Amino acid sequence: MIFEERQIEKNNFSSRAIILFSIIALGLVAVLIQVFSLQVSGYSDYQLAALKNKNYSVPVQYLRGEIFDRDGKVIIKNEPTFDLITRPNLILDIDSFLEEIQPVIYLSEAEKSKYKKLQKEKAFVNKELVLKKDLSDEEIARFNVRSFNFQNAFIAKRYRRISDYPDIFSHVLGYTYRTDDDFISTPEIPRSHWKDSELVYAHGLIKGRTGLEEVYDEYLSGRYGKRVYEMNARGQFVQPLSFMKPEKGNNLYTHLDIDAQKSAAKFLGNRKGAVVAIDLDVGGINVLYSSPAYSINKLSNGMSENEFQTLIDDPDKPFFNRALQGRYPPASTIKPAIGMYGLSNNIVNWDFEIKDPGFFTLPETGRIFRGWLKGGHGKVNMHKAFLVSSNTYFFSLAYKSDITELSNYLSNFGFGKKVCLDCFDEDQAFVPTPEWKYSIMNVGWVKGDTVNLGIGQGYLVATPMQLANYASILATKGQFVEPSLVALDDQKKSLNTWPDERFNDADWRKMHQALLGVIESDFGTARSIRDLKEFQVAGKSGTAELVSLDSKEAYLEVRTSELLRDHSIIIAFGPMPNPKYAVSVVIENGESGGTVAGPVAIEVLKSLINE
Amino acid sequence: MNKNFQKIYFDPYLFFSLLLLSSLGLFFLFSASNLDLSLVLKQMVYVVAGFIIMILVSQPDPDIFRRTSGLLLIFSLLLLGITYLFGPEINGAQRWLRLGPFSFQSSELLKLAVPIFLANFLFDKKLPIQRKEIIISLIIIFCCFFIVFSQPDFGTALIIACSGLFVLFLSGLSWTFIGGSFVLLIISSPFIWNILLQPFQRQRIATFFDPGSDPFGASWNIIQSKVAIGSGGLLGKGFGEGSQTQLNFLPETETDFIFSVIGEEFGFFGVLLLIGIYLFILLRCFYLALSARDRFCRLVIGGLSLTFAVNLIINLCMVVGLLPVVGMPLPFISKGGSSLMSLFFAFGIIVSMGTHKKFLPQ
Repeated sequence: MIFEERQIEKNNFSSRAIILFSIIALGLVAVLIQVFSLQVSGYSDYQLAALKNKNYSVPVQYLRGEIFDRDGKVIIKNEPTFDLITRPNLILDIDSFLEEIQPVIYLSEAEKSKYKKLQKEKAFVNKELVLKKDLSDEEIARFNVRSFNFQNAFIAKRYRRISDYPDIFSHVLGYTYRTDDDFISTPEIPRSHWKDSELVYAHGLIKGRTGLEEVYDEYLSGRYGKRVYEMNARGQFVQPLSFMKPEKGNNLYTHLDIDAQKSAAKFLGNRKGAVVAIDLDVGGINVLYSSPAYSINKLSNGMSENEFQTLIDDPDKPFFNRALQGRYPPASTIKPAIGMYGLSNNIVNWDFEIKDPGFFTLPETGRIFRGWLKGGHGKVNMHKAFLVSSNTYFFSLAYKSDITELSNYLSNFGFGKKVCLDCFDEDQAFVPTPEWKYSIMNVGWVKGDTVNLGIGQGYLVATPMQLANYASILATKGQFVEPSLVALDDQKKSLNTWPDERFNDADWRKMHQALLGVIESDFGTARSIRDLKEFQVAGKSGTAELVSLDSKEAYLEVRTSELLRDHSIIIAFGPMPNPKYAVSVVIENGESGGTVAGPVAIEVLKSLINE
Repeated sequence: MNKNFQKIYFDPYLFFSLLLLSSLGLFFLFSASNLDLSLVLKQMVYVVAGFIIMILVSQPDPDIFRRTSGLLLIFSLLLLGITYLFGPEINGAQRWLRLGPFSFQSSELLKLAVPIFLANFLFDKKLPIQRKEIIISLIIIFCCFFIVFSQPDFGTALIIACSGLFVLFLSGLSWTFIGGSFVLLIISSPFIWNILLQPFQRQRIATFFDPGSDPFGASWNIIQSKVAIGSGGLLGKGFGEGSQTQLNFLPETETDFIFSVIGEEFGFFGVLLLIGIYLFILLRCFYLALSARDRFCRLVIGGLSLTFAVNLIINLCMVVGLLPVVGMPLPFISKGGSSLMSLFFAFGIIVSMGTHKKFLPQ
């Protein structure tokens, strides 16, 4: 390269280098401007943000509301227990600490290893950690004597959710569970701080999972309090800054009646079944019992995996709430509704009579539908048909009915619908229609299906809750109040009027007389329970067939297997003539409705009325 | 000859400013690592080794770098190949090569090899450089970029591309060509966005433009870094007193986000001092480039010092929220041996080329 060219090249390089270095310098200036705007202009904002990061706030748990029965007696309460609580950050050597405390407080290996695991997670935040729950008086005394040895541990009050009637109210109350990660970040409390919550329950942060605990979870829940700690730059606790008290949740006053629920459980015994009773004035559910039951005390306060699995595997399905989810054929208890349909639509009237030979022959096919009494009941009118529960009468009435209209009519009684306003996971069971049958079974509706429906067999199913609701409609002559477990102000409950005006007052009176006769007359199918009480009761019993059989002889063979035996059902209301309560009882495989389910219904009514 | 032999090639300005910078770096690192002394001692060993390397590298005549530039490039690429084959996968990326107790990032060497090789390739070409030479240079740059990019290591790949492009630009790339490539870059940007960038890289860019979109996720780093710097104020919170740093609100305090630690604990004046030192180093390099003995030396000094500058700027801009998050350490301050060694190596070359003078005009 000659000198001139070199000079050009050098100048070229210089100018380009200047450009690049200037760009770099501009970049540095931009960074400085940005830093200036962060540190000088934005200082107060960012200082606040950093300060917020330094303030460690944790939620403080509230007490859930307690649940009461209609007399103000507590059903589920917060019971204090005494727990041994430690400050893990002050314990230098966990193993030797556990060894030292072992003679004072007995700890299982599982408790020890759980404590060690949690201790590692919690040690950072200078927090408390429960070492042993529910200390015995002896343990408390032993610890108090030696407490000077354990500066980093203390005994404090923690609550448990306890019912004095853990089994009989299990389905209706439901249980609570510990929420481990069901938290939301709020501006004040980040999600990650929830694990450091200050607890009042020994079982941790709890929420309702089933029953009233779930349905009224929000109502029972209080408001979390907040404790704010100041941390130093090392993440160590400096001092508490502020404390906002938690608010206790609302107490829940239910319509439940402890005594009536007790007698439902007592008289149902260890049989499978359900009892529902309703206070007719307010539509309050006084009894909602399903058997077999389980202990909510154990479930709410930590049940072992094994115990839980045993309950799940139990062939009697204790978790299954038969009162709200059991689907049973209503059997003969449906007859009043069928009768009302027949009367309203002028298919029959109160005087209409048939001759009951003990069976009904379907004209189209010649198929025989049998009654429960061989030889039949002779001349039967409507009143007698209820008393003796004549199947033939209702077969022939159903035979003359239009299935679509009949299905619609049945839904007036709450069949096929959820009827309870605040029940947990209520099943709506089922009223069959031709469309339904076609879509499910791919065959058309036949007249025989309608005939079977006339005595509550076949495809129609109802829950004990629906049966009780149905009983309350019959008892109040259609002027019923929708049933609920709790009456809250914001819950709109109104008196219903019976939509079918063709069924008039006189009809209702006759209906009550007939249903009264079922129990109180000499011919009633449920007369066996007549003398169990001082007051008069109306009702209708039923026996739900699980297998369709043509003869009694065949059934005797079937009944050797208990699970195929008929269900025993009764609906009843009293005291007559001005009924205050309606009740339904279903006993699985209990056979004859009047004599088996009847006494249970009477005992429940007695404990409700005699108060 | 004898006299020359005894001379030690040494630039006091660079030496002492780098000494100051590295010492401050160790000091900052001590706080950033929550007072982890062993970590700082380890880093101190790297710094001392770095200075020795720098002095050693600056002794031979720059010609040696010119003659070995091809070899250096091939050697660097070979290392990358070995990394690709045998390197352990850390966090989904293969960047490291293990050699006994030492492990280093093999792409670091490429940061030196690319600008030196291109400077050697271009220094004797007539002005303006021809299309053929441009294309060859661009192909080399792109290949090197792509290899590192696919490790994946976007930050280093970007630096390598810049180092090559700087040399190309300084050697006299025509302005029309530059304008043309800019237009091309803008046109092809959707392609780059959709095909070349990894989903996490796209996410970083997206959160950069809208940091509020995900305050607990991807933009957490930027937000906490800004809070750290901003809460430092004019004077800072003092050594070891930065709550953002010490309570671990700030991520990566020892590496990429160490500048936020400085901002939080030493405030605006601390930042001013730090940037002042960097600026002084850059100006000194600029002076050495202009006064270098020949075109090759000018190009290498320019290329290496600008690479250093870009590395610096990208880290600073990222940490203060002016650029999306790219993994890039703060030169001479962040923890890490490989990048420190390669920086000292680069400055050794710069010193060598800035202090060796030719006896005869070329």
